[in-house]
Amino acid sequence: MTKKAYKKGFNLIETYPVKFAKTIVFVKHNGPAVNYSFSFPDKKVEHIIVNLCPTEPWALPNRAILRNRTHDFLNKLETVREEYFPDSHCHVVVNHQESNLINELNQYKAGTDRIYPSTKEEYLHLHTMEPVYPYDAPVLIVKNILGLDIAFGQNTIEHSILLLDPQDVTGIFEHYIKKSEFNTRLIPISGTGLKDNKILKVKPGTPIKSMLELYVRTDIKYRVFLDGLLNGTEVKDLNQKINWSTKNIVVIEERDYKTPFHYIRTKELHFTTSLMGELRCCVYCNFCDDICPVNLEPALYWHCYDRGEKHKAHLYALEKCIECGLCSFTCPSKLELLQVIRECKLLK
Amino acid sequence: MKKTFKNIETILNKSLNGIETFIQSHPKVNFLFGALFEATDGLIRSTKDTAKNPPYIRRGMDAKQYMGGILTALFFGWVVPAIYFYGFMCVVPKLIVSFVVGVFIIDVIWVILAREERINEGGFVTCLFIPAFLPPQAPLWLIGVGAGISILFRNILGGVGHNLVNPALFGRLLLTICFPTMVVSGWQEPSTGIPTIKSLMYGVDAVTHATPLMAFKETGKTASFLSLMFGANTGSLGETCRIALIITGIWLCVKRIANWRIPVAYLGSVFVLSAIFSLMVGKTAAPPIFQLLSGGLIFAAFFMATDPITTTYSQAGKWIFGIGCGLITVVIRNFTSIPEGIMYAILLMNLLSVPIQTIILKIKYRT
Repeated sequence: MTKKAYKKGFNLIETYPVKFAKTIVFVKHNGPAVNYSFSFPDKKVEHIIVNLCPTEPWALPNRAILRNRTHDFLNKLETVREEYFPDSHCHVVVNHQESNLINELNQYKAGTDRIYPSTKEEYLHLHTMEPVYPYDAPVLIVKNILGLDIAFGQNTIEHSILLLDPQDVTGIFEHYIKKSEFNTRLIPISGTGLKDNKILKVKPGTPIKSMLELYVRTDIKYRVFLDGLLNGTEVKDLNQKINWSTKNIVVIEERDYKTPFHYIRTKELHFTTSLMGELRCCVYCNFCDDICPVNLEPALYWHCYDRGEKHKAHLYALEKCIECGLCSFTCPSKLELLQVIRECKLLK
Repeated sequence: MKKTFKNIETILNKSLNGIETFIQSHPKVNFLFGALFEATDGLIRSTKDTAKNPPYIRRGMDAKQYMGGILTALFFGWVVPAIYFYGFMCVVPKLIVSFVVGVFIIDVIWVILAREERINEGGFVTCLFIPAFLPPQAPLWLIGVGAGISILFRNILGGVGHNLVNPALFGRLLLTICFPTMVVSGWQEPSTGIPTIKSLMYGVDAVTHATPLMAFKETGKTASFLSLMFGANTGSLGETCRIALIITGIWLCVKRIANWRIPVAYLGSVFVLSAIFSLMVGKTAAPPIFQLLSGGLIFAAFFMATDPITTTYSQAGKWIFGIGCGLITVVIRNFTSIPEGIMYAILLMNLLSVPIQTIILKIKYRT
């Protein structure tokens, strides 16, 4: 067990349970597709971190990547390491509740059927983590596993750390080592705006519209978001195309009308874009600094902003903020704290 | 049942929508009653605002539920026990007067005239405080004046999020200055034992008796701790049943509506300091447990001092705030001629919380 570096954060998976359908659906696309390419770092890599513990409910569940063939995946990872990043340490991060997966990994580590058994010292390391948002943010995961402090927005390669997406492990293996055709990516789609939560197999280059058209609910107004709801982006034009870095798509109900007696019907407003309350002043409730994963006091930035002194926000360790968006998420006064922080950051 | 409810809901929703479009299309009506409609509508329906910036989902907790939690805690913490001890006819008229004057007259007039802030539930909390820290035999007009002053003061400062000091305590301070005898007399003896319909309606005969703290100042005798705990002693309307206040106060802390640091710091410092003082000066200082269980200390520590806007924002500052309140309370109680010092302690610390906050931030971020 690794020591927890941060006690805070928020368990989104418990609050917004998302169940994906078992089968993976292939989306046909005849238009131009984008070929796979991985930009290999030009610096020597000492640590590779592969995160198999998604902390957001709408992220790709790792069973879709492993497909009960954990050994295959680890073999691929080892081949990639041996081929492109020799002498580096591999860190695999898994959910601490998934004891089956942990067992499999331990068996693999101890097993004799490994392609590249470690000769001098073990380079494959297993780490467990609580699936609490945003523990998988680069700053926190590096701090948690390697104990290194990196700044937000900094490329981890500068510290010779490579954060490798599990799908890229397969990608590098198939495309660069096996030289076989690799042109699909797994994209989970979920949310209250859909009839069913699905994992889609998509060729990058496919427009979002053609991916969603079979699954969206037509009886409601919905909004589409890329890469998560907390710090992702909204898709304004559904003709936008999927690329190789798209992680997930969330479609949720807009709910832009008033709901009577919402106190007893919170379920209807849950998991929609509704603000769930009125915009008010800061009431000093301390919810934001209780939830902040990097021990900041986000309300201070709002107080500076409110007084018109954006530059003063830099006095309160603003550069440490990892922009996870939990402060705005939890604020009972519905203040746009993330927006305020981003605006203050712009003012150097 | 479900169907009729659904029908009522649809009709209500439609008529509210109708009124809304009517008000918004008539500027003069909107000028006078727009804010009033918004306030009433806000109690019945959710807002239609959606998240325009990331994060695109928000947590269900909002300022209304926050204030609703305080109102619930206050209701079970003092209104229900007060009805048992002093009778329905003693408590409910006071609440009605307080709400009518505070919320329905002053707040509504303010909103119509100034139209800056919506009417919000914070006013209810203030008005629920006013009868609680006045004696059971306080006349109704006194409650009305107190509620009016408090709400006026609250609105002048700008309402929720801008209060410099606790508005309810400020109202109480003005009452103490203007009507000094009325706020310190009329301590009615509570009815105890198995309640009868008569006692639940009217309380027992109006026998007045000094409060335990006053009695201690005069005679040096302390009341029994058990009677203090369960409220069989004289005191302000809302402060006597300490056990109910402690339970609801802890519930507020668990719900994270009240910050647990303040009651812990406040009560802890009162205990420690009064122990030190009674060791130093002997019998003239009240013993620690008696100090904790007498006067409005429990009520103030859980409900008044924790009023979030008037304390410091930083968590470390909350400890200092609580300890400061404790120090001033003990000093006033033991070394001045005033029997109870909670109001002054909290008001003074409310003002001091601004420099405390600045100092804490300087130490935390600039050293």
